[in-house]
Amino acid sequence: MNTLPLQGIRVVDLSRVFAMPYCGAYLADLGAEVIKVDTHHNQFVDTTRTLNGPYPDNDPGELYWERGGTFNTLNRGKLSVTLDLRSDAALGVLRRLVAVSDVLLENFTPRVMRRFGLSYPDLKAVKPDLIMVSNTGYGHSGPWSSFGAMATALEPTHGTAAFMGYLDVDDSGRSSPGSVPNKIANSYTDFLASWTAQLAVLASLLHRAQTGQGTWIDLAMYQVGVSFVGEGLLDYAYNGRRTRRIGNRHETWSPHGCYPCAGADEWVVIAARDDAEWRQVCAAMDAPELADNPDYSDVITRHQNQDGLDKIISRWTVGKSQYEVMRLLQQRGVPAGPVLDGKGLLSDPQLRSRRFFETVEHPAETGLGRREYIGRGWKMSDNDVSIRKPAPLLGEDNRYVLSDVLGLAQSEITELENGNAVGRTLEGARTPGAVPLERQVELGWTVRYDADYRT
Amino acid sequence: MSGILDGIRVLELGGHVAAPFCAKLLADYGADVIKIEPPHSGDAARDAGPFVGDDPHPDKSIPFLYRNTNKRGITLNVATSAGGAILARLLESADVVVQNFPPGQLPAPMLEPAGLVDGYPGLIATCITPFGLTGPYRDFAATDIVVCAMSGLMYHSGDSDREPLRNALAQSFYTAGINGAVATTAALFQRLATGRGQYIDVSAVECLASHLVQAVPYYSYMGAIKGRRPVRGSGFEELMPARDGYVIPSVQGSQPWGTIADLIGLDALHDPRFASGSGRIEFGEELYELLIQGLSEWDRKPLFQASGERRLVFGMAQDAGDLYECPQLRERDFFASVTHPVAGTADYPGMGPKLSGLEYEARRPAPLLGQHNTEIYCDELGYSAQELTQLRASGTI
Repeated sequence: MNTLPLQGIRVVDLSRVFAMPYCGAYLADLGAEVIKVDTHHNQFVDTTRTLNGPYPDNDPGELYWERGGTFNTLNRGKLSVTLDLRSDAALGVLRRLVAVSDVLLENFTPRVMRRFGLSYPDLKAVKPDLIMVSNTGYGHSGPWSSFGAMATALEPTHGTAAFMGYLDVDDSGRSSPGSVPNKIANSYTDFLASWTAQLAVLASLLHRAQTGQGTWIDLAMYQVGVSFVGEGLLDYAYNGRRTRRIGNRHETWSPHGCYPCAGADEWVVIAARDDAEWRQVCAAMDAPELADNPDYSDVITRHQNQDGLDKIISRWTVGKSQYEVMRLLQQRGVPAGPVLDGKGLLSDPQLRSRRFFETVEHPAETGLGRREYIGRGWKMSDNDVSIRKPAPLLGEDNRYVLSDVLGLAQSEITELENGNAVGRTLEGARTPGAVPLERQVELGWTVRYDADYRT
Repeated sequence: MSGILDGIRVLELGGHVAAPFCAKLLADYGADVIKIEPPHSGDAARDAGPFVGDDPHPDKSIPFLYRNTNKRGITLNVATSAGGAILARLLESADVVVQNFPPGQLPAPMLEPAGLVDGYPGLIATCITPFGLTGPYRDFAATDIVVCAMSGLMYHSGDSDREPLRNALAQSFYTAGINGAVATTAALFQRLATGRGQYIDVSAVECLASHLVQAVPYYSYMGAIKGRRPVRGSGFEELMPARDGYVIPSVQGSQPWGTIADLIGLDALHDPRFASGSGRIEFGEELYELLIQGLSEWDRKPLFQASGERRLVFGMAQDAGDLYECPQLRERDFFASVTHPVAGTADYPGMGPKLSGLEYEARRPAPLLGQHNTEIYCDELGYSAQELTQLRASGTI
């Protein structure tokens, strides 16, 4: 196999939480050497090391900061160096590291980076062609630039909730466009920002190779989110329409929706794009006469009578598994598929066939053994892009970075150690509590669990 | 001002969302994108509403207008031998071809990805499909809601006591588009070192599934299924009613509970039972009622402003009108005025990130069908006016 696309590129990853760490992980999959700047002081550590879990078998264990499944997804393939940036010596080391790197990822507020002397102009002085991503909630300029942010609160703020929501249903069961906004779950905006940063970094590397110039990427998650609902905004600009909330229905196609299946919280989606596909739905339901029923025979009447149509389809799906409905419709060419949860994804035949999940062997001291991780949404024909190593242990690569990469003398390293600027054991923390899974089900944090999930 | 992908030429074939959005991102970064549409019908998105003035005209489709700014457009029937010969000439000067035809439905055999790479050394061929080019579901039919469902996104969207909820505005194919642009750019960078092109197989389902960094390890680490919101009893990080709309009063950020209670301004919220995370769960129902009461005194925007000033991280539900009025987006020059000869003038949303040395420019409105035929076929490929007339008469362009 060939060398990887980012072979020889070094990335310093100062970032925390989801969006930029995941960007760094993908750059590592592509072959870059990604150095995560960690810290062993609890109040500044990446909170995904300590707060997010999930822990293996719900047991944080003694080395809990090495054992979180979300952290290990977001930081696979990286090296870890611990530097306490409150120490001038450590800050000096970081500047030296930037000077021998190509890309810097960070997501501190503008105030913090200025205080540390790590703003783009500061760092450009040590690395003139630096490519730097500064990821913030709202950007480095504008009246909201000092505001903090998190994806869950950003999603409705940047407009997605205006275009999502259940239908309103009146007492007689008639539905109408929804008055209540809803939101995409799971920190969606973080991933829009992560993909946007990946593209901006790669385009900047290409530009630098041709011009010798670096780039500063001022990445506002809010603004990125707005750009992903741009077609909705343009409807306002041209027509003055502010929202569109039609539940699981479609503007033109019908039937179109999410229907209950046999199991608890088991659902299937169906989308018929024209009359021919509607006929195939009727045939699959073993109700060919329905296709000619004047209430449903063309898309206009089907739209007018969707409440009744959805009831008919639900009566058919509710006795079947989601995969059975998918098979019956897909073999007739009708778009349909199961609503998959985390377990369903891990066992889905398509994802397994394409090796979407990649197995990583963790060091023995973590007690994690072999675990499967999310891969990427794309494959390159000329490269075996893959997860190259597990997420690093805290400070695992201190010696490599300080001595081999930066050439620090042993006396300088000892000084950092004596000043407690580097370290491999998390300080100032207490072991996170683990809420028993039965209690998590009561609280609604989890829907259900399989005690035998590993067999 | 030149873009940072200046000098890169991209051909775009297909339609709807994924390939056009991928190519639009590359165009926004400065690439020269030529959109190839079938004669007469054009990109199928031209038939998709909403339309400007609700007039169903192929140059007034709003989704089409948004996804195709900054491109040039030509018509070409690539399925004919004359059309194939022209496509071959276009491919000779292209760095990238982006397409999103379903597998097995290529309009011309020459668009088969491995063959493109063999035939045109250095070419990057990016294929975006719902499920990818391999695997048992390869030929399955899919629309946005199917991809949202099968990627795991939809299961986690909506309310825990109702059915999963469809996501906003074809998100599955927008995310596939940006992931396609990421892999394409990685391949362009690698080409500098190797001189070789390659093809890229983008699966929309996998792009969207790659964001489930919590739900997947919940199962692979402890066998648990993570569900939909709201998490019962927490009373937070969900949309709650304010006086003029909805807000999200998040507890995250580094401020103590008292800051939140102070901001909302209801004395009962200072009850010490609510000061800890475990207390807010244990007394969640009571807290929820108090928050509803406190928030009913607030409008969204003043609350959001006050929370930001106190270093809290509240959110608010904004609609398209709010976003056009947003002082933050205006100050950052997010919108760009675009004049389209048929659809008229409007402020278009611009780029997500701001890059030093690259001012976002809406250089061109979305192309009319075949708008750049003369420019590209005659001025750039050297066909004569007479040949162009013949190609048009034969239905090739």
